[in-house]
Amino acid sequence: MLDAFLAGAHQVFAFDTLIYMLIGSIAGIVAAAIPGFTVTMAIILTLPLTFTMDPLQGVSVMLSVYVGGYTGGLISAALLGIPGTPSSVATTFDAYPMARKGEPGRALSLGVWSSFFGTVISTIVLVLAAPPLALIAVKLGPWEYFSLIVFALTIVASLVGNSLMRGLIAGVIGLGIATIGPDPMMGRPRLTFDSDILLPGLPFLVVLIGIFAISQLMSEVEDHGKKDASGALIPDVIEFKTWSVMREVLMRPINLVRSSLVGVFIGALPGAGGSIANLLAYDQAKRSSKKPEEFGKGTPDGVIASEAGNSATAGGGLIPMIALGIPGSAVDAILMAALMVHGISVGPRLIMDNADLAYGMFVAMVVASLMMLVVCVLSMRLFLRVTDIPKQFIVPTVMICCVIGAFALNNRVTDLYLLGAIGLVGYGLKSLDYPLAPLVLGVILGPIAETNLRRALMSDGDWTVFFTRPISAVLLAAALLSVIFSVRSVLKMRKKDRPTTDEQDGD
Amino acid sequence: MFRKIAVAAGLLAAAIAGPAQAQDYPEKPIEFIVPWGPGGGSDTLMRIVAMGLAKESGQAVPVINMPGVGGTVGLAEFAKRPADGYTVSQVHEGLLIANGTGITDLNWDSFMPIALVTSSPQYLTLSKNDNFSNFEEMVAYAKENPGAVRAGVTLAGVPHLHMAMIEDAYGIEFSYVGYEGTGQRIRALVGGNIDVAIGDVSSAGQFVENGDLIFAAVGMPERTTDAPDVPTFKELGHDLDLAVTRGVVLPKDTPQDVADALEAHLEKVMQNEDVRTKITNVGSAPVFLGQDEYKAYLGNLSETVDRLIGKLAG
Repeated sequence: MLDAFLAGAHQVFAFDTLIYMLIGSIAGIVAAAIPGFTVTMAIILTLPLTFTMDPLQGVSVMLSVYVGGYTGGLISAALLGIPGTPSSVATTFDAYPMARKGEPGRALSLGVWSSFFGTVISTIVLVLAAPPLALIAVKLGPWEYFSLIVFALTIVASLVGNSLMRGLIAGVIGLGIATIGPDPMMGRPRLTFDSDILLPGLPFLVVLIGIFAISQLMSEVEDHGKKDASGALIPDVIEFKTWSVMREVLMRPINLVRSSLVGVFIGALPGAGGSIANLLAYDQAKRSSKKPEEFGKGTPDGVIASEAGNSATAGGGLIPMIALGIPGSAVDAILMAALMVHGISVGPRLIMDNADLAYGMFVAMVVASLMMLVVCVLSMRLFLRVTDIPKQFIVPTVMICCVIGAFALNNRVTDLYLLGAIGLVGYGLKSLDYPLAPLVLGVILGPIAETNLRRALMSDGDWTVFFTRPISAVLLAAALLSVIFSVRSVLKMRKKDRPTTDEQDGD
Repeated sequence: MFRKIAVAAGLLAAAIAGPAQAQDYPEKPIEFIVPWGPGGGSDTLMRIVAMGLAKESGQAVPVINMPGVGGTVGLAEFAKRPADGYTVSQVHEGLLIANGTGITDLNWDSFMPIALVTSSPQYLTLSKNDNFSNFEEMVAYAKENPGAVRAGVTLAGVPHLHMAMIEDAYGIEFSYVGYEGTGQRIRALVGGNIDVAIGDVSSAGQFVENGDLIFAAVGMPERTTDAPDVPTFKELGHDLDLAVTRGVVLPKDTPQDVADALEAHLEKVMQNEDVRTKITNVGSAPVFLGQDEYKAYLGNLSETVDRLIGKLAG
């Protein structure tokens, strides 16, 4: 085992590999920082380049893109209030308010350190427990998946903002949007009204960009002139306090570890991923916090939870891939393809047959996260310069990136019409004070819930199986508890705020 | 200055040559539309072919993924592209099924088939279970307990067709559970959530080696070198051809000389050792059928699909 570890480390620490990884890391961070561009896209662009590299070298480069990408999303989340990737939706909740309060440097540093520790924790879990965890993940059937999604849907309650009713409506709109297009089982068109535009459905990323980016950009335009004369998005106090922020992150070990483990677990489940993990980790942090009312107003705990949670899915996703050859996410599928092209079959025997490769990947994960850290810390000042650029330049630039990104996703022109329409809807909802995160959560979770419910009933027509399979029953019970907990805390809050709150809001 | 002269000379030459001649083809990059998402079988294989074609023709061959609705969104877009040989795409059995089940009006003859390039042998794969451990036992069990064997398939997709072919030939009945893609099916098979599925060497080979799964039969005319112990369906009584075969197509009405030129390039690509090795590495087999043979092949396949389509539409 030590031999294999050293052999793998030796290959990763080759000079050219490190240089390629550094380039990959920067590419991942930049791609993820631009709203509309995704990590998956960056990895696909890397794939053909790795055909000519050694297998481990190629995979190391892709891993550095991957790790960098899970961090880069926080930059636009914190500075623009737009999630750079689906995985950084929850980062906007607290990092953006913090940046607006004049601490953009602290918000970025918090996110970078949390991402770093999240990746490292997930890699440790990966090294220590990949085979048993992968076996658990593979045993989960459609019943467990459905129950897990039911549980995940209850976190809408943490995301509703001012009004429970509006939050629930937004969630239902999201679930509804997800039913448009080919049904996930048979490919039959639903609610498409024979229109070519709606036929392929509303792609998740187009919805995400439309809902968050377009609506945010339009509000920026709307606010123009109301603020200080400089027109910058954020007041220009730039302080990083890199090391004191590191201590700040480490002073919250429970939140950090819990969020990372949520990320590892969600990442290890094939089909779920960073887009769910960040919201789930945020929800858990909010619920166990002594001051839940500070969430959404710029609390460091929110940033830590979201960023540690999404970065930990990187290591989590590798668990089923390295242990069983089953990809945990689209990115892992591309990684596997890169290995297979080199004649390495990825499966349950990978650790035995290609131990140096497997251990090399562990080493590469750690190296990649260190590189991400160095690149981010050194370039943070540069990223913050974004905030000095006047709005009239930055808003159109980001808008163009969003449009390009939405197109590049599937290379469909019709997606751009959808983007425009969804952007208008998002702007309308935002203006009416509807929270947008529940809508996005509905779009993410709806199809997974539907697919697994139908799959479960196709496997066995008996509904009671959901309650007789132990893990499924536990998850459903957790969902019930979660609802009770949320209702209680809403009632408590309302009692407290009764004199000041608009009564009709919550009903 | 020199550059200007060169450009002028080029323009002049182009003017004299008139419309693009086949011997010049390709004289600019060829877009390769893969109507499936990145990382899947079609994407990986076609990227290898595109890489070979770029080397062979001296022009860049960028791969563009246009996934959606069972591969039909990308093909619908492709059908609208100019028929000049500078946009190519890929089809496999899925298109014939999507046409048969009414998902799309496009069919294989909506395009100009140029060459069949890869064939991925498919194996009937069994989970470890108490009821059967080889093909004969599975058939016997399924006959005694109609509908008790849970088969994981992509509903109205190629694996569904393959399962329906097995049902049809051996007179048995599965109950179907829908999964998206081979990886998902194999995972469910390993986890014991389904009993049988169609798998391939790249996704299931190591599980078989490890004893977690069983390859019961292979849908090829002869046993494969990857799994020489696995009997063919022919040996088991019915000559079933279960393979996913991928070929390159051009838009209809592309000039014949351009089609011939592309065919010639692809023939050379498929002889390239590097391309052949990479295709074998990802669990498929490099093959080459030219325009006429490929057309005949698709015609035959289409008849099989039409015969079984009723089983798939439900």
